[in-house]
Amino acid sequence: MKLMGDNLDYYAQANALRDVNSYLKLILGMGAILVCVVSPGPVAPLLILVTLSAITLVFAKIPVRVYVELLHIPLLFAFFSVIVILFLSGGGEPVLTFSIANVPLTATSGSANLAFLVLVRTFGGMCGLFFIALTTPMIEIFSVMHTLRVPPVLIDLSMLIYHFIFVFIGQSIAIHNAQTIRHGYTSFKRSLNSMAMLGAMLFIRAWKEAEDLIIAMDSRCYDGKLELPGQQNPPKPVAVASVAVYLCLCIAVAIMTSTIVPFR
Amino acid sequence: MTNLLEFDNIHYAYPNCPASLSGVTFSIKKGARVALVGPNGAGKTTLMLMCNGVLEPSKGRVLLDGEPLRYDSRSLREVRKKVGMVFQNSDTQLFAPTVYQDVAFGPLNLGMEPAEIKKVVARALLEVGLAGYEKRPPHQLSGGEKKRAAIAGTLAMDPEILVFDEPTSSLDPAGAADLMELLDELNVKGATIIISTHDVELAYLWADQIILINKGTVLHTGTPEEVFTDPSLVTSSNLRMPAVLELYTELVSRQMVKKTQSPKSVLQLVSSLEENFRKPGADRVIGTITVCDVDATGTGEIKAWIADHPGLRCGAMGTRAKNLAERESIALDFTYGVIDKGILRALVGENSILLTPASMVPHVFRRVETYCRESGNTISVVCLNNTPHQSPSPGDMKEGDQKE
Repeated sequence: MKLMGDNLDYYAQANALRDVNSYLKLILGMGAILVCVVSPGPVAPLLILVTLSAITLVFAKIPVRVYVELLHIPLLFAFFSVIVILFLSGGGEPVLTFSIANVPLTATSGSANLAFLVLVRTFGGMCGLFFIALTTPMIEIFSVMHTLRVPPVLIDLSMLIYHFIFVFIGQSIAIHNAQTIRHGYTSFKRSLNSMAMLGAMLFIRAWKEAEDLIIAMDSRCYDGKLELPGQQNPPKPVAVASVAVYLCLCIAVAIMTSTIVPFR
Repeated sequence: MTNLLEFDNIHYAYPNCPASLSGVTFSIKKGARVALVGPNGAGKTTLMLMCNGVLEPSKGRVLLDGEPLRYDSRSLREVRKKVGMVFQNSDTQLFAPTVYQDVAFGPLNLGMEPAEIKKVVARALLEVGLAGYEKRPPHQLSGGEKKRAAIAGTLAMDPEILVFDEPTSSLDPAGAADLMELLDELNVKGATIIISTHDVELAYLWADQIILINKGTVLHTGTPEEVFTDPSLVTSSNLRMPAVLELYTELVSRQMVKKTQSPKSVLQLVSSLEENFRKPGADRVIGTITVCDVDATGTGEIKAWIADHPGLRCGAMGTRAKNLAERESIALDFTYGVIDKGILRALVGENSILLTPASMVPHVFRRVETYCRESGNTISVVCLNNTPHQSPSPGDMKEGDQKE
């Protein structure tokens, strides 16, 4: 069983930009996402998706295979939504007309522009999100949350949830294996049955894990304190400057190209 | 010496369950190495959870330093500072996102200052051989590393008593040997150590006090020799005799060795055999054991010394020494039971060098000295970096022997 959670976390820990200041990485990723979402034309998101992918692949040294594998899931969703948009919205001249089973379908230039914009916005946004997810470990994000004065209870909760994700993954693999070796997934009906059992067991095990965790925490004098701010490497001036230049460039491109549309 | 921890007629039953402990009484002295031995379901874990007040006995008292435990939260804090607990499943214990944060959890909750926490965590990680692992998330560590991280989390609180529930159950043999060496090192530094196990070999070799429990009662408390040479005790508690001891009893019944003190190790058995079977008149060459303190010696010096002495046997004790050997690609001949192996090699005329952490250097000298006195052989032990405080003086020896 291949697990994406493992992959993401592994690369977040091991990538080449691991030790770069997290604020910088977050600003770059979030900034890119914002520009993508706000940009009225498709050029800026296109620019962002190309450059940010290049940064993720070249500077953070994420393998292309992993990156494509990660991106293809949200893109598949985006692709289907785009098809719906293409044929349901209107405006402008018809570009493409045909009918399936006597249902006439028409794509106009307006709907094509909108569909393309949605596609590149999603694509660019996902690149920004994956840039953050693949270069910044959760721990760093916790420490950023801490300095941004997010209430401690939220940070503690997120830390415990993060821990339990891995407990859950481990337990579900173990149960799934135990079921598979005894033919738990050989037919559809059995799969449903096994899946239900797996769910129920996960709940019980999670409960037990939580009880054990409390004992373990109490044994170490738990007094309501959990989070500890991590140390940040100070950002290099060159890095700060290049992030600033990059984001300004993106914004400028978004403003200047706001009227450009691919389909007329 | 006073009793550090005492269990006085403890009774306990989990809600809606039959009694899991009924009248457990024993006491543990400061500096002891105690093994709680018993079959599955004997009540070992329940007993361990009482050491630091997680469970409160329904009848009876637990005494720490002669004071009965009290179960209000302030007193429990003090108790848990003194009694550190390492659980069987390291995953439940390691819940923070990084090793550093996990080890810092205890000190943080004890209210230490950030600067002090940093110092304490660095020391604890160095002690278990995980220095440099600070930023790693625990779920990416191997089983042995997780166990070490869990131990570091407990050590950071500087406890007097360390309680381990089945410490070696999920480790490979090398990992288990490593861990037991770490426990030795901690014990030599003054910690009282309690482990629960059903590994008879481990309990027999390592412990100096065995508490044999079954079905919620103590069957016997005593030295490993007492417990494991009594067949009725061994069978009534679903255990078996350690291999060395079994071999020894068979050899005794064939009059191949004299019945003396039961051998604890292969080394002792070999020496008893040698007494009977050594060819008279044969000239005996005895090798030398060189001890090298890896904390005080430069790696270059060690490598140069090894290169100067071909045919040398090389052994490493503890993670730091083993890491060093791996880093410097020094081939190791022994990685567990290192001192005994060194002596065994010396007896067949081979020289060896033992890489150890600083705290274990006097221990090596003591161990070899004890062996020499018992067997009448003379094996010379020298320090590679001969600093005065490490070479054994007669005063040191006596003190050490009394402790053993």
